Amino acid sequence: MSGGEERGTELVPGLSSPVGTRRTFFRWVTTLAAGLIGLGLAVPLIGYVISPALKRREQPWVEVGVADDLPVGIPKQLEYVQTIQDGWMASQTHKAVWAVRQADGQVTVFSPICTHLGCGYRWEDADRKFKCPCHGSVYDAEGRVLAGPAPRRLDVLPSKIEHGSLFVVYKEYKAGLSTSVEL
Amino acid sequence: MNLYEWLDSRLKLKAVERTLLDEPIPGGASWIYVFGSATLFLFLLQAITGMFLAVYYAPTPDHAYDSIQFIEKQVTFGAFVRGLHHWGASAMVVAIGLHMLQVFLYGAYKPPREVMWMVGVVLFLITLGFAFTGYLLPWDQNAYWATQIGINMVGTVPVVGDLAVRVLRGGETLGALTLSRFFAVHVLFLPAALAGLILLHLFILRRVGPAGPWTGGMERRQHSAQAAPPAGDAPRESADRRVRTSETFYPRQVFMDAVVMLGVFAAVAALALAVPFPLADKADPSDTTFVPIPEWYFLFYYQLLKYAHGPLEPLATWVLPSLFFLALLFWPFLDRNPSRRLVKRPLALGAGALFLVMVFALLGISIHDLRALPRVDPAVARGKAVFARFGCAGCHRVHGEGGAVGPDLSFVGDTRSEREWHLRHFRDPQSVSPGSIMPKFPLNEQELGDLTGYMLSLKRPAS
Repeated sequence: MSGGEERGTELVPGLSSPVGTRRTFFRWVTTLAAGLIGLGLAVPLIGYVISPALKRREQPWVEVGVADDLPVGIPKQLEYVQTIQDGWMASQTHKAVWAVRQADGQVTVFSPICTHLGCGYRWEDADRKFKCPCHGSVYDAEGRVLAGPAPRRLDVLPSKIEHGSLFVVYKEYKAGLSTSVEL
Repeated sequence: MNLYEWLDSRLKLKAVERTLLDEPIPGGASWIYVFGSATLFLFLLQAITGMFLAVYYAPTPDHAYDSIQFIEKQVTFGAFVRGLHHWGASAMVVAIGLHMLQVFLYGAYKPPREVMWMVGVVLFLITLGFAFTGYLLPWDQNAYWATQIGINMVGTVPVVGDLAVRVLRGGETLGALTLSRFFAVHVLFLPAALAGLILLHLFILRRVGPAGPWTGGMERRQHSAQAAPPAGDAPRESADRRVRTSETFYPRQVFMDAVVMLGVFAAVAALALAVPFPLADKADPSDTTFVPIPEWYFLFYYQLLKYAHGPLEPLATWVLPSLFFLALLFWPFLDRNPSRRLVKRPLALGAGALFLVMVFALLGISIHDLRALPRVDPAVARGKAVFARFGCAGCHRVHGEGGAVGPDLSFVGDTRSEREWHLRHFRDPQSVSPGSIMPKFPLNEQELGDLTGYMLSLKRPAS
């Protein structure tokens, strides 16, 4: 918009229109009002759109069983149902982790995925070893690699015991690396 | 401004700017002319907040409620954006009401502005269509049952009623097809219709010009043609009123409109922040005990329906509304009095005043009745259900029902008013009441809260 003073001279005959500082004042207040409304809308709306993108999805602690029910030194597969929150949609999936109770009562929980290429392994009671059927990786009850192509020991999941119940946070790690890298 | 100058050299923008900004306002800019702009602003606010709500909303019965809960609880500013949309709708009804009142009082619907009035009435109807279709979208109990009632009212129209109901619902029952068509109508069909008709409304405004103050039936051409005295009694009028001058739309009227828009935005934002608009329980088609309460702007009509029973019912459900909107639409042709001045229009003003008195009287009665009605908090109702499910009445008596092993709980909300105490007591009765024989019940957090809510609601009625 051009300046007020010049416009005052261009106006349609028969129409009054403020000129000079009055005109400037009206223009400034109009701009200010528009700016305040725009800002008052833009800030919340931008936050509204980007907020879920910035939120890191926190995996919850899930109860998977009673710690004292686990045999000492013998890994046991614990199956449980986990609720996965996807925005407003909640879906449930079955998960299974391997848990071993130590003599001191502590429990170690292993991710059920072989560190080599991501197959599911199983516990062979007779050999007292974890064996992966895909490429023959073998681990002991503490998760250490005994044989096969596995690049690292079994991944240990965060776990805790509260009021006798065992809680786990399910995580997945990249396969094929010599160190645990969370997905 | 270089870019503007360059664009102007190509697109001749300055001529457009002149046309838009130098529109003559007869009698000069005035705060009384702001309601149309306020309505337009609120429509834009609704359009913008609506687009953003659609980012997370899912128009299906199994997810609509959860998606709104997600907006309310998980999304940053989600409750605020939804609050703006909710209160913006209310504000739009108020703005339209004031705009129509101003046009009515100023006789601005009289020739040559009949078509502008009629398009305005259709715009008002479309706004009510927005209110009706938007109300269902959260898919909570209120939404479901209020819409059920609204649709059933359409069913009372003879001959076409049944078909209309089926078309509205998209089938036999209110369900998935109803929600998706209400959603489509609310966010696609109605906005397109409204935007088109707003343009038509404004186009007509620019063709016939604003009506200006009461000082006679002046027309725009008579104005720009340098204050030629209008025909009839106008010279006498101008003698005892302020000198009639026209002023450009910009900058004074634009300034007034902008200040009012900012005020409206501040008011709607304050309401959105201060008055939360929580969801009721998720829609439950099997729960026929739910009594929905309509939005405040439909309350007067809701009250009117209560007086119409039996053979009178169709009168209130469709005869009166149809007659009212027909009369409103063709009002410029019903009111043939040529004068715009208030003192010369006793009949029209009387009719308008009578209508407003009836609407506000019905609204007043309705609000009075609703306040008298004891509102049951959904948490309290759930707590009562928990109380029944765990057999608490085996030991405790509430208002004469139940055993006498434990304390009578009829007014426990008065004697034990601390929420914390109840929560601790339910988790472990002995911890706060040593020696108690009450067992620990396996209550989850939700049940704990609901049961405590029920306990706290058990109070002597306020005298």
